[in-house]
Amino acid sequence: MSSTHRPPPPPPPPVPSYAGPGSPQDVPPPANSFPIDPATLPGPIRDEVLAADPIALDTSAAELKDGLNRCPKCGATDIRHKPGSDLLICQYCRNQWHGVRVEEEFGLGTGIDQLKGRVIASGARQIEADAASLMSFKCTGCGAEVTVNTESTMTARCHWCRHVFGVNEQVANGAVPDAVLPFHISKDDAVARIRQFVHKRRMFALKAFKDEFTPENVIGVYLPYMIVDGNTSVDVAGQGEIETRRYTRGSGNKKKTYYDADVYKVDRHVDFTVDDLPLESSTKRGNLDARANTNNIINTILPFDTKNAVKWNASYLAGFTSEKRDRDVSHLHPRLEDQLLSIARAQVEASVGQYNRGVRWEHERLDVHGTRWVSMYLPVWLYSYHQASSKGGLLHYIAVNGRTGETMGSVPVQQWKLILAALTVGSILEGIAIWIIGASS
Amino acid sequence: MSDDGGLWLLLLAGPVGATGLYWGLYRHYRNTDKSHAFERETAVEAKPVTGWDGKVDEVKGTQKTRIPGDNVREYRKRVQRVQGDSG
Repeated sequence: MSSTHRPPPPPPPPVPSYAGPGSPQDVPPPANSFPIDPATLPGPIRDEVLAADPIALDTSAAELKDGLNRCPKCGATDIRHKPGSDLLICQYCRNQWHGVRVEEEFGLGTGIDQLKGRVIASGARQIEADAASLMSFKCTGCGAEVTVNTESTMTARCHWCRHVFGVNEQVANGAVPDAVLPFHISKDDAVARIRQFVHKRRMFALKAFKDEFTPENVIGVYLPYMIVDGNTSVDVAGQGEIETRRYTRGSGNKKKTYYDADVYKVDRHVDFTVDDLPLESSTKRGNLDARANTNNIINTILPFDTKNAVKWNASYLAGFTSEKRDRDVSHLHPRLEDQLLSIARAQVEASVGQYNRGVRWEHERLDVHGTRWVSMYLPVWLYSYHQASSKGGLLHYIAVNGRTGETMGSVPVQQWKLILAALTVGSILEGIAIWIIGASS
Repeated sequence: MSDDGGLWLLLLAGPVGATGLYWGLYRHYRNTDKSHAFERETAVEAKPVTGWDGKVDEVKGTQKTRIPGDNVREYRKRVQRVQGDSG
């Protein structure tokens, strides 16, 4: 059964003979840090050190920097997203136009197998610690100050002259992404889906939840994600077993089955690319501890048709709330590595089908040749219910994917009802079991 | 144990049924076991898997039906990591 296809993967690179500061064995310094205080350096060197890092993909839109999204036909600023489409519509002259798809505009769907290093789009760059969430604009219409809190919203209206402002400039607070995927599922549709979802979870639902159930309170939220393309190789090694003989010993109730098997050392290597893997880029949403929160519900409705995302324009967010990104590429990289390894393990499974007693993987190695990171706002309809308890309670979500309509939720249960039902069924089964035993003895 | 000893196992039907029903319903309502199935739902383009297999040992007379520590389908369970290039 043994077959030789390929020599085993090369061992990890040998440890260099030198060690200490500056060697690969040293802990690397933080990004953008310099070992000497730049202020003590000569002018030209200081300027070089302090110059901004190059941004590989610039998705910021120069025409939107003053915060005013103007209709290309009449110049009005009251622009909204046309529900159910990717169109923007001018509320003044009814002109409609389509946002530019980032996929084509920035060539995001191509060349993944050629990716080398980290390519980070301008909207996904590092968040600066002192960047404020509150942004103020000077209205070009009347000169008034208009403030937008980017923690939860990306548009505002000047209360003096009614100009509508959107946060379009890619400031370093993480609020402005590279792209946005507009809502396609309407609110009525989302309400119907939530109603349907809860309808088949009524019997053991918490009474207070049922009493207060008002799916019309669903909120459209744009949540921040990093969409990652990756070019990767993975090696896995372990042992697999193939059954060679199966036999029984003993008789009657003492009869037992025994197995003989051949043990093989198994190595596998796979090169692959992933296209548009979504990762939550807010700390809150990325915490998927199902004991403490129900964020896994929102995670479940992934993925989105991110190929159709359009270049950022705050007008798409008019009437919706948003959450701000607070995680950088470096924070998300361990999670990406974990997911790439999981994908690789799924990819190699078909190649070890002959091991009918299973495979125990013992070592895995990941080589990330290149990644491309784009930040995006993705549309989610969220219905929430807070279940109070002495330990602080739990926020239950029912989420509808704003593009595909995929619905998932957490419905709080009435524990006593559920336990009573389980005990009742258990008792009936036990009664039948006792009857069978009694009848046969 | 008597000849009909296997029948006594039926007494477990009650507790097993009750526990199974409780957890089945609990998960149906709370969906605590759900997450994004990125292994299946991500667009992956993989080159053909290559590898090497070599017989190293034999097992005789085990009662276990699977290899100890079988994790071939537990994609998300990490094993010892050999340092590679993290990009």
